[in-house]
Amino acid sequence: MTTNPSPADTATAAHTENVTKAYGAGDTLVTALDNVSVSFERSKFTAIMGPSGSGKSTLMHCVAGLDTINSGKIFIGDVDLSGLNDKQLTRLRRDTIGFVFQSFNLVPTLTALENITLPMDLAGRAPDQKWLDTIVSTVGLGDRLSHRPSELSGGQQQRVAVARALASQPAIIFADEPTGNLDSRSGSEILQFMRTAVDEFAQTIVMVTHDPLAASYADRVVFLVDGVLVGELQSPTADSVIDRMKRFGA
Amino acid sequence: MLKVTLRGLMAHKVRLIATAVSVLLGVAFMSGTQVLTSSVSASFDKVFADVYASIDVVVRSTNEVDTPFGPERTRISEAVLPTLVGVPGVEAAEGQVVGQIRVLDKDNQPLVAAQGPPNFGLNWLTSPALNGWTIVDGTSPVAASDIVLDAKSAKEGKYAVGDTVNVSVTNGVQPFKVVGIAKFGKLETWGGAQAALFATSTIQTLVGEPGMYDWISVAGQNNESQTQLSDEISKVIPAGTEAITGAEFTEESQSAFQKIIGIFSTFLLVFALIALFVGSFIIYNTFSIIVAQRTRELALLRALGASRGQVLRSIVLEAFFVGLTASIVGVGCGVLLAIGLNKLMQSIGFSGPDTPIVIPPVAVVVSLLVGTIITLVSALFPARRAATVPPIAAMRDVAVDRSGASKLRVAFGLILLALGAFMLWFGLNGNSDSSLQIIGGGAFFVFIALTVIGPVIATPFASVLGWPLQKASRITGRLARENAMRNPRRTSTTASALMIGIGLVGFIAVTAQSVKASTVDAINQSVTGQYVVTTESFGSTALPQSLAAELDEVAGVRVAAGISATFANINNSGKIILAVDPNAISQVIEFTDVEGSFASLGVGEIAVPEKLAEEKRLKIGDPIQLVFIQGGATTLTLGSIYKTEFPIQGPGWIISTDQFNTLVPPSQQTFLSIYIKLDDTSAVGVDAALPGLKAVTDVVPGAKLQNLNEFKKSQTDQVNQFLQIVYVLLALALIIAIVGVVNTLLLSVYERTRELGLLRAVGMSRRQVRSTIRLESVVISLMGTLIGLVIGIIFGWALVSALADEGITSFAIPWSQLVIIVIIAILAGVGAALYPARRAARLDVLQAISSD
Repeated sequence: MTTNPSPADTATAAHTENVTKAYGAGDTLVTALDNVSVSFERSKFTAIMGPSGSGKSTLMHCVAGLDTINSGKIFIGDVDLSGLNDKQLTRLRRDTIGFVFQSFNLVPTLTALENITLPMDLAGRAPDQKWLDTIVSTVGLGDRLSHRPSELSGGQQQRVAVARALASQPAIIFADEPTGNLDSRSGSEILQFMRTAVDEFAQTIVMVTHDPLAASYADRVVFLVDGVLVGELQSPTADSVIDRMKRFGA
Repeated sequence: MLKVTLRGLMAHKVRLIATAVSVLLGVAFMSGTQVLTSSVSASFDKVFADVYASIDVVVRSTNEVDTPFGPERTRISEAVLPTLVGVPGVEAAEGQVVGQIRVLDKDNQPLVAAQGPPNFGLNWLTSPALNGWTIVDGTSPVAASDIVLDAKSAKEGKYAVGDTVNVSVTNGVQPFKVVGIAKFGKLETWGGAQAALFATSTIQTLVGEPGMYDWISVAGQNNESQTQLSDEISKVIPAGTEAITGAEFTEESQSAFQKIIGIFSTFLLVFALIALFVGSFIIYNTFSIIVAQRTRELALLRALGASRGQVLRSIVLEAFFVGLTASIVGVGCGVLLAIGLNKLMQSIGFSGPDTPIVIPPVAVVVSLLVGTIITLVSALFPARRAATVPPIAAMRDVAVDRSGASKLRVAFGLILLALGAFMLWFGLNGNSDSSLQIIGGGAFFVFIALTVIGPVIATPFASVLGWPLQKASRITGRLARENAMRNPRRTSTTASALMIGIGLVGFIAVTAQSVKASTVDAINQSVTGQYVVTTESFGSTALPQSLAAELDEVAGVRVAAGISATFANINNSGKIILAVDPNAISQVIEFTDVEGSFASLGVGEIAVPEKLAEEKRLKIGDPIQLVFIQGGATTLTLGSIYKTEFPIQGPGWIISTDQFNTLVPPSQQTFLSIYIKLDDTSAVGVDAALPGLKAVTDVVPGAKLQNLNEFKKSQTDQVNQFLQIVYVLLALALIIAIVGVVNTLLLSVYERTRELGLLRAVGMSRRQVRSTIRLESVVISLMGTLIGLVIGIIFGWALVSALADEGITSFAIPWSQLVIIVIIAILAGVGAALYPARRAARLDVLQAISSD
């Protein structure tokens, strides 16, 4: 019935082919994504940047299988998302994708540790204890692991969210403005943590952000304006990102 | 603020559905019950008015004995008649004889079941001024073998003029010849009753006594009022008789019937109130949740300058609108329900022929008031909480859930619990006239107390109940358990609604089981016979005394002993008096002598049980005065103080059959039951005796032959029947409680939209979402059920202990029934979660995670 969608050994962790997504119809038609083709390399930290309404979040939601598209194709590894039903998409999200949202990342009734192991618990498989120990020690929460989210600071909550995304060793992690609600110190801690995950554990991360400083932690930045891919930047710095943004008139 | 209220109402209308439904159901039950009983009552009022319309004055005996079937009066002699005819202004005077007879169908089975509509036998009045019946076919009854049937019975029994019809009478089955078919005015019969008309002397022998009437009806010449005529007649009638007007007589009959309907109506009303009480929990919960969800909105209003009073009023007003609307619709549904039930009752022949629906204004107003007030009161606490929302909450991110585990709450709850327990104890053990009300109030306080303490015990309870779920279904069980624990107040209120219904079910089940166990024990310990013959009829339609003699003759029977019953006033209060052949009955039922000798109880003597003797300080040789319905005052000597485990009807006054037969007319000399002891009591012997016994009892209509096991079963079946009626009536309360569970789950799902979105995003499948909601529902349902059952068992135990003196000596818990209740509760929990779980599983992930 279902073929377990697992990414094959391709160079990209995910890629899109001529993806178009529009909302509404007639006069109120809004094209959120216009013929976007982009690939996200394996074991790299990619940032998607763009001004508000540029479609960057929509792109991420579509690639992560949370939203549907009008035309084009999206692949996670070599699995074509358009061929998957809700059950298969759920399984894909659970087993091969990790998520970090801007806020409300954790289930309030579960402890920090339980939140980290949640995807594995949902899949009904035992976490790799050694890997879990590694993550937990990297996340640096120590004794707060048995606390509920309400007893953690915003930065700590986001660290737990990243740890959760890492714990199931997904093929790709999508982070949607993960530092958007944090003060700059907590924000840079999170970004550093994600950077470490890419460098040390060869994790693939795609992050949506509008903050040039956050983007500077990435290996590569792709720019989106009005639903169109307008360029990219390798090994960005905050300044080079701002520079490029200015050129797009954003 | 009115505008805000109305807008709020419209915005939350979906969330208020459960509130409306719970109010509506309760109000519909309440108003429907009252409309139905009023209509039935009115239709019977009309029947009585029609039947007695031609009577201006009634002359009857002054001696009256209270019986469970209503007051019974001594008959009046026909010798009074000539005196009456001589009174100026009297057009006609005739004696009336009415009694119960059984007309049999062509298969010799009763045409009307014992529990069906009444079946009368009465005399044909010859005076047109008094007789409301008209012959539509054939002639009136004259000869001793003549019978006239009402048109309805003739139709149902397919009898025509000239047919022979069998009638079951005191001394067996007697054939009559149908000489006529009669209608009462335009109606086929009196309000659904079966009526058979005979010549006066015939019916006197069948149900009364020769030369005697139940009363004498007098028709005036219409030149003076009923009162004047009655006064005139009063002057000439002998001592021991009285004259009352036809209007008074009609009213007396009507009010006697209204009293019975009234008891029935109150009984139903209790269940309507239980349903509304359960509904109040749902109202409370809905408003609490709405207030919690609207915290920011309310805070904004406060920040913009709304006063606490305005916020409070806006919530209360919202409750008022919901309560009033639901109550109005509820009354409408109640009337429709009453119409439907009335039609149903008519179709089974159990009501007046042309029953118009009577909608008493009082019932409508009271139902509306009760529905609205309950809604208002239930919403008051949440409204007060809403009013205390500080303006600053508008700026806060999350609504604060104040947990319910305060010391004050525990203390208050314990005080209420103590009060409730005391009232229960007092009601059960005291001798107050209003014991029932006190017990009801006690139960109410216990339930309220548990609801108050609920939030404190909800968390540990959910934790314990959820533990196996967590073990079995891992993450979904874990989440369900946490969800059930996260809002203890809400969980406990939802569970409380169920607790009340289940508590009452458990209480009734335990009590019934104890009654059954006690009955079976009593029969086991006291009955030494092997067969029992019973009947569901009383008086002239019960078992003929000759049946015992015939059974005695059957091969293998050692003894057959019957028990008769009649009523007499002792110290001016109506008591049931049993009659037995002491020597014979002692061989089939164990009577132990405490003083005197039961087995040799003779004419002129009476026996009492030990307890009654102690209570009344009676000793052997004491004179006891009894006023029988027909036999007049008789003084008997206390000849025996006995003890028996046998479940005797009534207080246990027993006389000998010989004595009994001197006190009641031959038409009433019947047995209610006959106990048979065999020579060979082995299983083989018992089976072998059956055909012989059956041959004798089969020809007696209404006689039921049972072996001891069947007898025990039929005794306990009566309890089961009552149990089923109560269960059906409690079902409404349970349905409302389940609506409450659905409601809570729906609102919780709504509240947890983002959380569900997150779970779905990180890989929770729809099936897992559904299973989480389902398990949460099961935890809540189980909590309500288990607490309810514990309460029910405790209530049952309290009642059973209090009834130990009444012969309820065993306390028995119907474990298998309780297990079934728990299983049903789990299934109900699963069922309640169906819709909320589907809603939760269908949430659009993207919308859910981006919703605010």
